Amino acid sequence: MAVIKALIYLLVYPGILFLFVYSTFCEWFDRKLYARLQNRIGPAYTGRSGILQPVADFLKLMFKEDIVPENADRTIFSSLPVIGLAIVLTAGLYLPLWNINVSVPSFNSFQGDIIVVLYLLSLPTLVLFLAGWHSTNFFSTLGGVRVLTMLFGYEVPLFLAVLSPAIVADSWRLAEIADFYQKFPFLLLFQIIGFFVAVVALQAKLERTPFDIPHAETEIVGGTFTEYSGKKLAFFRLMTDVEMVVGSGLIATVFLAGFSGGVFLGLLKFILKTLFVIAILSLIKAACSRIRIDQMVIFSWKYLAPLAVLQLLISIIVKGVIQ
Amino acid sequence: MKLKPAAFIPELLRHLFKRPATIEYPFEKLKVPDDFRGTPVLKSELCIVCRACVRDCPAFAIEIETLSEEEKKYKMTIHNDRCIHCAQCVESCPTKALFMNDEFEIATDSRLKLKAEYTYTRPKKSGQQSQTG
Amino acid sequence: MKKITIPIGPQHPALKEPISLRITIEGEVVKHADVRLGYNHRGIEKLAESRTYIQNIYLVERICGICSHSHTTCYVQGVEKLCGLEVPKRGLYIRMLVCELERIHSHLLWLGVAAHEAGFDSLFMYTWRDREVVMDLLEIISGNRVHYAINTIGGVRRNLNEIQKEKILEGIKFLKKRTEYYTNLGTTEPTFVARIAGVGILPKEKAIALCAVGPTLRASGVSSDIRKDDPYAAYDEIPFDLCTADTCDVLGRVVVRVKELIESYKIVEYIIKNLPQGEIKVKAPRKIQPAEVVSRYEAPRGENIHYIKSNGTDKPERLKVRAPTLANYPATIEMLKNCFVADIPLIFAAIDPCICCAERFVELIDAKKGNSTVLSMAEIRKKYYSTETKRNVVWPL
Repeated sequence: MAVIKALIYLLVYPGILFLFVYSTFCEWFDRKLYARLQNRIGPAYTGRSGILQPVADFLKLMFKEDIVPENADRTIFSSLPVIGLAIVLTAGLYLPLWNINVSVPSFNSFQGDIIVVLYLLSLPTLVLFLAGWHSTNFFSTLGGVRVLTMLFGYEVPLFLAVLSPAIVADSWRLAEIADFYQKFPFLLLFQIIGFFVAVVALQAKLERTPFDIPHAETEIVGGTFTEYSGKKLAFFRLMTDVEMVVGSGLIATVFLAGFSGGVFLGLLKFILKTLFVIAILSLIKAACSRIRIDQMVIFSWKYLAPLAVLQLLISIIVKGVIQ
Repeated sequence: MKLKPAAFIPELLRHLFKRPATIEYPFEKLKVPDDFRGTPVLKSELCIVCRACVRDCPAFAIEIETLSEEEKKYKMTIHNDRCIHCAQCVESCPTKALFMNDEFEIATDSRLKLKAEYTYTRPKKSGQQSQTG
Repeated sequence: MKKITIPIGPQHPALKEPISLRITIEGEVVKHADVRLGYNHRGIEKLAESRTYIQNIYLVERICGICSHSHTTCYVQGVEKLCGLEVPKRGLYIRMLVCELERIHSHLLWLGVAAHEAGFDSLFMYTWRDREVVMDLLEIISGNRVHYAINTIGGVRRNLNEIQKEKILEGIKFLKKRTEYYTNLGTTEPTFVARIAGVGILPKEKAIALCAVGPTLRASGVSSDIRKDDPYAAYDEIPFDLCTADTCDVLGRVVVRVKELIESYKIVEYIIKNLPQGEIKVKAPRKIQPAEVVSRYEAPRGENIHYIKSNGTDKPERLKVRAPTLANYPATIEMLKNCFVADIPLIFAAIDPCICCAERFVELIDAKKGNSTVLSMAEIRKKYYSTETKRNVVWPL
């Protein structure tokens, strides 16, 4: 029975199938919202009001011609999209969504899983860098370098911001953190600064405007993705979508009190909370213009990092007061 | 000059629940104005075969062939594939035999389908006419 | 650090038309830039020599899609000077009205493109949505959205009625409000200002020395506008201000263009309110006595020059076009020096480049020997088009 449950957990919910379906839905939501903010219609034809458009795009890309550059290392070039997708799908398994007993640690929920998720979310960035570097195209290389430069900007603020709720909750386990804030929801009010720092850093991690510097199409063509096409590009796009779901799921867990209440209520909470985070991401995307890489690093260290440290300080004080 | 962060957000949110400015084009069409320059059409009963349109057309899209000199039978071919819709022919025509309709979706898969042919006789009484294309 | 030369173009997402920028970079900093033209040459000047003056109106209109009216007006003014025609006042006013509406549509389009190059897609969508208003106005006046074809030798082809006047005023009122909003937004939104302020510096002396034209020149603090310096049509009767900025950067170019939009709204309102009565055109002769003329015109992008030489027939002997973009290329190279890679599209877009406007000349040079050659059409066909022409298709050219 446990084996079947584990298999279902890995493959159906919240494993590959659910993450695939839900990430395409999230992409549709993002695109539609972005379009409506810009007074456009957005995806309209595929499925009811275009809801199947991301799936259609994915399938279309799967059937497109797949080209590997002559000078590129074929193995690495081809395996990177799959590795990237596998990493973010793995990260998705640690979200405390289902099959979690708060009192008993298990293979998908243990002390320190918040760190594991954070590091798993850092790996796709490395994959993107390697993809850019191994494309042997100048624009890709420049994109890859920009990916890494940006990583130094947003990674520290993101870690500090996400970890400060854990300090108050006195646990490194996502399920316990969520459970703690279920019991004391008012404590979340002290985490507002951290929430916004985390959202902005997630925006940078997902490489969306104003941080779409590594694949800025008007500057360096497709950046890291310049040489990618067909199936590989489809996997990379899916990877970004899943990363968006997992990232917003992580923020929803630590800052918005998780998804308790069994299978159905938990799922409903998960959808509402992640969509809320994604809506904020879309709004930021629509309201800004792309900034330069030097401006991005300055912004991160001048505003994001001090704010994250401030949040850490607040968390420590709050913790002291509670005890 | 003062900078205002997130200056665009109120405008964006204001449009969130408004009707989109775009339309679903192939299913929904916008109306063209009255004097729209669409496709040129010949009212063959008015044509006096002065060939002013042939002379002035910048794209050489109008041809007039003489089918028979005695019967005064002529054939005008308007090559819509070459037509640039400038309506100079309409302006050059002394009898207002040419006019522009409001058709603009004339794309097809073959340029031969875009040929419009008019066969007519010149005198006052209107002869038989056929149109293909 | 190693210097690398990268190609921006002929195919690149930042470029809407083919042109090649060879950029030498060191890290993310541009050290040297080189512009290569000739990807979009269509032989329009040569073609013009084989067509009548009337047919050429529609040919020069197709030099450019955005400033189609600029080229026809410039051409038609030259031809009118050649045959000494006095165009009726009403005709001139309608011509100016379309000029200004075209300037409005061109500047709104440019604002959207600049925003898009900076990655600010929302502003792009909003400006282009509002641009539809002026496109519709142009469609109502002339019958087409892009190639207005309102000019003819000796005046304009279409009159203006009361309903159209009302619609124009209504549209202008809406656009005025929107433009004020964009002025506000474009100069206060931090991410956008961070991208355009201090980028692509072109000092005043350099701008004059490199013969920049139009908004690029005016943004460097030089007040030069053909409408003021050498008034054509009836611009000497119309009150309007010349807009300049002294920041010499892309922000200045945005400010100049947005200010010009507001001036254009005023001009359009003035024209509608003071539209003289009378004829709109006079009859023009078909053949023109041998003479030559240079016609100048302030297009949305800058000074447009047409040179026409007649030889007594109904076809011109020579037509030479100098589009504003060509005059701005040397200045662009100066602006690109020492900028970031990220700023290349913005700086290049800031001159509002119209590549097909500027592609007037191609010279075939032997890469080894360095001497130029002339190829006839038949030779080109034989050399480069191996496939036979299809039957059934009759092409008169």
